[in-house]
Amino acid sequence: MKSKKYWTQKEDLLDDPKFREQQQKEFAEDPFEAMLQDNGNSSRRDFLRVFGFTLGASAVLAACSKTPVKYALPYTNKPADVNPSVPNYYASTFYDGSEYSSVLVKVREGRPIFVETNPSSSVTGGGLSARGAASVLDLYDGFRLKAPVGAFKTWDDSLSGLSRTLKSISEKGGNIRIVTGTVLSPSTRQLIGEFADAYKGTRHVTYEAASASGILLAHEAEFGKRALPRYHFDKAQVIVGFNADFLGTWVSPVEFTKQYVTNRAPSKDNPKMSRHIQVESMMSLTGANADDRLPMKASMEGAHILELHDHIARKAGAAVFGGGKELPGNYLAKLATELWAAQGKSLVVSGSNDPQVQRLVVAINRMLQNYGQTLNINTPSYLRQGVDKEFQELVREMETGKVDAVFFYDCNPAYSYSLPVQFENALKKVPHSVAFVTAETETSRLCKAALPVNHWLESWGDAQPHAGHYSLIQPCISTLYDTRQFQDILLALVGREQNYYGYLQQYWKTTLFATQKEFASADKFWVKALERGVYEIGRPLAAEAAAEVVVAPVEEKVTPVAAADKAPDNSSLREVAATVAARYAGRGGDTDLYLYEKVGMGTGSQANIPWLQEMPDPITRATWDNYACVSYKIAKDLALETGDVVRIEGKGFNETLPVIVQPGVQAETVAVAVGYGRKVVGKAGMNIGKNAYPAGQVVADSFLGFATGVKISKVEGETYPLAITQTHGTVMDRPIIRETTLGNFLEYTKELQHERAVLKQHAVNLYPLHERAGHNWAMAIDLNKCTGCGACVVNCQSENNIPVVGKDEIRRGRELHWMRIDRYYSADANDPELAQENPEVVFQPMMCQHCDNAPCENVCPVLATVHSSEGLNQQAYNRCFGTRYCANNCPYKVRRFNWLDYTEPKNFVYNPVDNIGRMVLNPDVTVRARGVMEKCSFCVQRLQAGKLAAKADGRKLQDSDIQTACSKNCPAGAIVFGDVNDPDSAISKYYNDERTYFVLEELKVLPSVAYKVKVRNKVKEETAKA
Amino acid sequence: MFDSPIREPLVTGKKTYGQVTEDICRPIHTKPSKEWLAGFGLSSAIAGLFVLAVAYTFITGIGAWGLNKTVGWAFDITNFVFWIGIGHAGTLISAILLLFRQKWRTGVNRAAEAMTIFAVIIALQFPLIHMGRPWLAYWIFPLPNFHGPLWVNFNSPLLWDVFAISTYFTVSLLFWYIGLIPDFATVRDRIKGKAAKAAYTAASFGWVGSAKNWQRFESVSLILAGVATPLVLSVHTIVSFDFATSVIPGWHTTIFPPYFVAGAIFSGFGMVLTLMVVTRKVLSLEDYITIGHLEAMAKVLLATGMMVGLAYGTEMFIAFYSGNMYEKYAFANRAFGPYWWSYWIMVSCNVLTPQLFWFKSIRRNPTVIFIMSLFVNVGMWFERFVIIVTSLHRDFLPSSWIMYTPSITEGAIMLGTFGVFFTLFLLFIRTFPVIAIAEVKSVMKSASDTYRSQDEHPATIDWQQQPVPVTQENHHPAHA
Repeated sequence: MKSKKYWTQKEDLLDDPKFREQQQKEFAEDPFEAMLQDNGNSSRRDFLRVFGFTLGASAVLAACSKTPVKYALPYTNKPADVNPSVPNYYASTFYDGSEYSSVLVKVREGRPIFVETNPSSSVTGGGLSARGAASVLDLYDGFRLKAPVGAFKTWDDSLSGLSRTLKSISEKGGNIRIVTGTVLSPSTRQLIGEFADAYKGTRHVTYEAASASGILLAHEAEFGKRALPRYHFDKAQVIVGFNADFLGTWVSPVEFTKQYVTNRAPSKDNPKMSRHIQVESMMSLTGANADDRLPMKASMEGAHILELHDHIARKAGAAVFGGGKELPGNYLAKLATELWAAQGKSLVVSGSNDPQVQRLVVAINRMLQNYGQTLNINTPSYLRQGVDKEFQELVREMETGKVDAVFFYDCNPAYSYSLPVQFENALKKVPHSVAFVTAETETSRLCKAALPVNHWLESWGDAQPHAGHYSLIQPCISTLYDTRQFQDILLALVGREQNYYGYLQQYWKTTLFATQKEFASADKFWVKALERGVYEIGRPLAAEAAAEVVVAPVEEKVTPVAAADKAPDNSSLREVAATVAARYAGRGGDTDLYLYEKVGMGTGSQANIPWLQEMPDPITRATWDNYACVSYKIAKDLALETGDVVRIEGKGFNETLPVIVQPGVQAETVAVAVGYGRKVVGKAGMNIGKNAYPAGQVVADSFLGFATGVKISKVEGETYPLAITQTHGTVMDRPIIRETTLGNFLEYTKELQHERAVLKQHAVNLYPLHERAGHNWAMAIDLNKCTGCGACVVNCQSENNIPVVGKDEIRRGRELHWMRIDRYYSADANDPELAQENPEVVFQPMMCQHCDNAPCENVCPVLATVHSSEGLNQQAYNRCFGTRYCANNCPYKVRRFNWLDYTEPKNFVYNPVDNIGRMVLNPDVTVRARGVMEKCSFCVQRLQAGKLAAKADGRKLQDSDIQTACSKNCPAGAIVFGDVNDPDSAISKYYNDERTYFVLEELKVLPSVAYKVKVRNKVKEETAKA
Repeated sequence: MFDSPIREPLVTGKKTYGQVTEDICRPIHTKPSKEWLAGFGLSSAIAGLFVLAVAYTFITGIGAWGLNKTVGWAFDITNFVFWIGIGHAGTLISAILLLFRQKWRTGVNRAAEAMTIFAVIIALQFPLIHMGRPWLAYWIFPLPNFHGPLWVNFNSPLLWDVFAISTYFTVSLLFWYIGLIPDFATVRDRIKGKAAKAAYTAASFGWVGSAKNWQRFESVSLILAGVATPLVLSVHTIVSFDFATSVIPGWHTTIFPPYFVAGAIFSGFGMVLTLMVVTRKVLSLEDYITIGHLEAMAKVLLATGMMVGLAYGTEMFIAFYSGNMYEKYAFANRAFGPYWWSYWIMVSCNVLTPQLFWFKSIRRNPTVIFIMSLFVNVGMWFERFVIIVTSLHRDFLPSSWIMYTPSITEGAIMLGTFGVFFTLFLLFIRTFPVIAIAEVKSVMKSASDTYRSQDEHPATIDWQQQPVPVTQENHHPAHA
């Protein structure tokens, strides 16, 4: 069939070649061509038309020019679980040698960016300390050791060299010593054992900068079992602490905080709480939370404990030794009565490292029948295994040249040992010394070789914080540098083909699999354990149980009067008591130097993490330094003010330090934090403070953590500007903090709620109120639960990409933390001396209050800060041009300004802003530019993620879907976040609690952050007076 | 025309109209004096410092200043309010005093208006300078944009400021310029240099001095005076809203609008006196800016000084009487807190020292007046510093209380503004008629000693040679 022909015009039909040529062209005619070939026939209009077109076209084309393109390479083979922008969480374990936490690591596109608590853990579930949160930054530290240094240049060298050396030493019958921090990992302990079997002459020594060797040895002496009891602060109704900062730094603060707060939140239905008495030398975090706090000289701690022992012994009808020292107002006698009344429900702890003192503490707890109740040595804690004496012995061995090879792993004695010179000289006599480190340390510099090991986020491992509790460590990123795991090196040295992953798995499958019935196959058990991160048997293993001790209470339940004939036998303590009485007699007028750990810095192993350096100390609010906290009395005697400089001279210690006149420091005491003055460390920790470890006394082979008879003198004419974030200490009698005593609790809260109701009645609004049809996000903070530990501050910094601004900027008052913890002192108004010497302390976390009538919102000229339909006060960084009017008009002063370009590496060297360091940034949160205001967003990115997750599952949003970084990881569970429009949410219940109030409610800015009244459990006679 | 014999003449020295023109135009025609050159050299050097300091701020960020998390404004907004305040006297003199028919304003209104313009030029820069991201400053204008429904916030006093000040600047500039046209024409007719002639010709807009010219000139002046009068009150009222509408104790005060306006007039007159006492001496204009002029302005200082004094007292009383603990503390902190010295500098300069003006001998002593005017400038700068810094540094939560210490950069910017101001003013006195020639002439008949003593020296008047400006006063003596 012949097809029809269609044509458009005559030329088309006739197939005109000229027409065909035209048809091929895209444009009808080239205007330029036409004009040029026109031989002057073009008009002015033509010219303008062409000219205009050209100009317009070039402008459009110029606008289309390419901006530099950065290519994001897609995966060639996409890993099964990695989806761009979807985070994966891996269960793991954080243990830095002193703090333990079971954690979940948030991994985005293969990069760990945030560490949060693992709720499955019964030990630390619900909380993560500042140090735990900050350890993710450590991973990306530019100062990390990237390849072997010293005697060995490559791994092949190292391994072959080491095994040759070890073999020859072992064959000659020489001595090999492995010095580690506490090894929590049962599989590693087994592996070290295997290593010792392979190389005869090997001994494992545990060295800890902050050991619990006093407690370990005391229990050994008393029960024949060297163990650190597991403490149960939740079961204690009366808690007495002697220089034991159990909420801040002592043994396992996250765990203890979690336990402690369970009895600290009275309500209308249950107006009860535990009573906490802290006797201490320096105002610690724990002391700040105590109901009663008494200053005590560290050099007299033993004498006070002896006195308490005697008071209780008198009641128990046991032997009384005498030689103790009472506290002012016969306080210990009263305390003994209180404790006696709470037998089996009390707990006395001491931070002393002196075994003799700890034996008295053991005796006290025994007489109070607390063993098996509030503390237990049959499910012991493995968190502190170091015994000072053993390391002392090692140093003596090294000095005499008996040690042929020494390994250091996870410890830094060259920095933290009390006698650094002795150690250095001793180490020189060891022919082969190797340090296994993530980053170079003082110790690794002294060793013949340093081998880089993996960060915990790159490692496999397990941990056993207490008998019956296990958790796993799994790598969340492949090694960033040419590093290996310490355990893999040991395995290679003992000649095993297996890697540590296999070894670990085998250990779990053989040792732990048998202890459960849930899973039939070992593989399933292993996978499930990895997924959960923890495995809890709840009881010791059979081998551990074999060593169980029956703690007989010193006497059976008898009244003190009837006890005379059945007097408990504590006569073995007579000698101990005599030693303690002599050692802690104390001399009036002598000045004590008390060493303490800061909550953020601990023993200084994380000194290169700028987040921790910049974290304000909960008590002094100072950052980036250690300093001499002097008592009010010393300050008066030497005419000292905060910012002056003093010289402290003691045995083995002679340093100048800036001064903070710290309320609550015992009158004849000056306290200095350890963990500073690192000499071999990256840029953040360099030249920060002075090392106080050498000042500590060594008495009978124990590091006591204080020195007595030090000389302190003012360095005239010298001042040092400390970087302190809060310079005003009292609340000025303003109703910002609401507090009462337990006795007045019901009456007080009734009045408070009446006052609030009256305020509400008179509320008038200038602007129409926001409608809240959907969610209405809000937060509540229980001032009674909040211990002020500051974990939230660092968690927030990690979640929200908050830059570190450095010492100088903080001196100028420009810290950028979105969240701060205000610390206020108070005391009986009639006694200003007391206020200086021993004030009460209250903490108040403060962040953007997301006011419904936000004063910041109506003053911004460009609407850069606006209200969301869900009750958030939102800051649009892009829109902000930095008038700072909003910050001025914020009654809570929570808005933070980017005064400088804090991401500029040139000026802020300690910030991790290189290509590796930037990997820690949360991709869901904008990095703010210079000149922009920022503030707490209620972790809006987490809210969005939570809403999406609920939507994807097609269910209603629950509390557990949406947690801000601070509320998620608060060890005390003091921060509750949620939707007040949801009647089932925890926050709605909080909102209607009788203790709830809002800060500055009278301004009618309608804040969304509720606070709950602080209650102190004072003894009755005092409450009656108040 | 009747003139009260107890009123002292406003133009002395038995001037003829010709002499008036001659005297006032002299600085434009002569070579600059050594004093002028020295003054100009110094002030332009300081103006250069201003440029450097601002450039440094732009490059580094606001971090170059001493501000912190609690004190978000200090020298920047202090300077801003200070210069806006200075900018009040000019329009007050030219507009309000015109409406009130105060003849003495003719001697000083030109310079005062110039001062206003320069002060507002400086003040207008601060909203830009104080921004974290000044390159985005144009967002402050309600410009149609492609960001969706993104608009400015009409609730923000900072936005009102922009409107108020730009309006004020525009009207002041117009008013000043309209007044300058006849005088520019005078200069145009006398000037020799070709370029200068062309410039003045352009500037005088073809003024020929015809009756129609004068008639229009008069109406425009009156209309602008009418428009400018409410602006005098509104600008500082709105500037005070920056503080008054906030929640911060010490800022959140209903007394602020009248208090700020009185303070602005006070500081404006202070600055006018500072400038005029020197200018009349250096340019030999004592016959036009007489002791009488100075005395009149000293009286204004006395009156407005007491107004601000009353405001200080009222604030204190209300803070005490309110029973509001935050308010009470804010004011106690002003007077007795760590910045007590700034408060007492403010009180002594603004309230105490002006009381000396009760004495006539002091009101008529140029040296003393000059020193006192400097005190007023200092006092009023500190008033703004006190309001801004002492309120911010200790507000509601004591945990955020902090001290503010200015940085060198801030000091340089503050000093630099004076450099810019005096540079502009010195250029002004060399190129513009410093006194409104036409307006002075308009009051010659009624208020110069030439005519007061007409009976004794009638011969000095040469009607043939002098152009007589036709003013409303001439046309309608009843209005005078």
